[in-house]
Amino acid sequence: MRSQLTRLWRWITWTWSPASEREASTAIVENLWLHWFPAKIDEKSFGWRYSLWLGVIAAFLFLILVVTGVLLMFFYVPSTERAYWSIKDIDYVVGFGWLLRNQHRWAAHLMVLVVFLHMLRVFFTGAYRAQRAANWLVGLALLLLTLLLSFTGYLLPWDQLAFWAVTVGTNIAKEVPVVGESVRFVLLGGTEIGQSALVRFYVLHVVALPGVVLLLFAYHMWRVRRDGGLAVTDPAATPLPEASSTAPVGSKTYSLFGVTPGTSLETRAARPQADEAAAPSSPHLLRRLILVFLAVFTVTIILSLISGAPLEEAANPSLTPNPAKAPWYFLWLQELLAVTTIRAGQLTISGGLVGGIIIPGVLLTAAAAWPFLDRSPLRTIGKWLPPERRVQNAVFALIALVIAVLVLIGVLMRGPYWQLYWPWQAWPQLPTRL
Amino acid sequence: MSLAAKVERRRFLQWVGQWSVVAAIATQFGGVVRAFVPRVLYEPSKKFKLGKPAQYPEGVTFVPTHRLFVIRERNQFHVISARCTHLGCTVEWKAEGRQFDCPCHGSKFRSNGERFAGPAPRPLPWYPLSMSGDGFLVVDSAKTVPSTYRFAVV
Repeated sequence: MRSQLTRLWRWITWTWSPASEREASTAIVENLWLHWFPAKIDEKSFGWRYSLWLGVIAAFLFLILVVTGVLLMFFYVPSTERAYWSIKDIDYVVGFGWLLRNQHRWAAHLMVLVVFLHMLRVFFTGAYRAQRAANWLVGLALLLLTLLLSFTGYLLPWDQLAFWAVTVGTNIAKEVPVVGESVRFVLLGGTEIGQSALVRFYVLHVVALPGVVLLLFAYHMWRVRRDGGLAVTDPAATPLPEASSTAPVGSKTYSLFGVTPGTSLETRAARPQADEAAAPSSPHLLRRLILVFLAVFTVTIILSLISGAPLEEAANPSLTPNPAKAPWYFLWLQELLAVTTIRAGQLTISGGLVGGIIIPGVLLTAAAAWPFLDRSPLRTIGKWLPPERRVQNAVFALIALVIAVLVLIGVLMRGPYWQLYWPWQAWPQLPTRL
Repeated sequence: MSLAAKVERRRFLQWVGQWSVVAAIATQFGGVVRAFVPRVLYEPSKKFKLGKPAQYPEGVTFVPTHRLFVIRERNQFHVISARCTHLGCTVEWKAEGRQFDCPCHGSKFRSNGERFAGPAPRPLPWYPLSMSGDGFLVVDSAKTVPSTYRFAVV
């Protein structure tokens, strides 16, 4: 019965069915939706355990953010007088507006987390080596853009969090030597935080930054395929057997030139001898992508039902909330800002410059330079935590751990006037208003 | 004219043509960048009126609209900014410790604006005062004065 129904369905939806594997591959390449997948994918790439699918999850979170974000744009008004009240309307008046906003907010938080975890995964599997260095750099840019999107996003409600985040953020920009003042002036469109600052951040958030993310995302994907797929399939890790003669080898190319010996550009990294270990991307990849998307969507919806996006009081320039905390992913920077002011005699270098610009800048530069300095053997590509990379993995893990600990200190242990308190210790009562 | 000269001229014109396109695009781009640097700021003036001297009691008064403190010692006045010099949060006056505390990153300043704890790199700035014709205190927040400054009202 079921097979008859299946046949009926196929008869309705298809006028043609592939007679061979080759025809099936062609069908994938020729299809509008499927052509951006390779026709066949090495089964190693499918594994849940190798990549943890973090990049795919990040991409789906971005998709959810774009869709919910565009919907929110119908209700949000980017004006200092009305922004706060339009968010109130989204939360309490617009039908299911609260769900849209909560989902947008949860997807944003998860995206920061997942993009960071994706970076950890790529580092711990050495998947940034050789030709993949380019994609590592693109990934770093995407991480930065994710953080900038979060920053420009959480100040749109124009509540207390928003106002003081812009204040602190743009004052960090001001600390840059020589050009700082002008950078802040152009960011704000003036010397005070007001309407022009809000519109600038709004356009950055809804058009400019997502546009750049899309461009870089497209390049990131194209580059993954050009570099030979996931690093776990890299021939450097599983070397090709020595060609014994000049007879044609089973190189993976789509042209007649495939009969010539050696490998062509397309075969640089694939494992042509492992064709039998490859599965057609439709349905195998497609099915998993749909599963992952459903899981991501469900998680964001469930989180949105459990906990809502916060909205503090309307922006009040004369009263700084106490304590004034950034969202968790910036708290490690806030922690650094507060403790890195350097004093030597007459010379004072503000923590805004040291903790807000120099330290993150050094970390970023080190991360960008690392693929070109890494001397560990190439056979470790695509392997989780190989012993040959023990030291650098430990250093990288340590940096990530320090960041995580600083975030936890910021979230759990900072009280009024940025004093340290134990998480179970009560804060002294303070007036919240003047 | 020789053929060589003609080729030279053709190459030169080609060069001029190509670089004019680049220059035109660069100029347009420059114009776009210029648009983002405002020519007029619709912001409140840096020089503004406060209240009449009699409005301020002895001691420290916070003026939320301008984010500054008016400090009165009998007929002597001075004004200290409430913007923390670290990253711009509004500091609070703590009468019991006679100090200003910043809620953002924990900077602390003495009653004369001098920093004694926390990450702030500079003391809180003092602004000069003057008197308007109709008897209001006037602050010029574009200028700063040393902490020996006092404005006497007769």
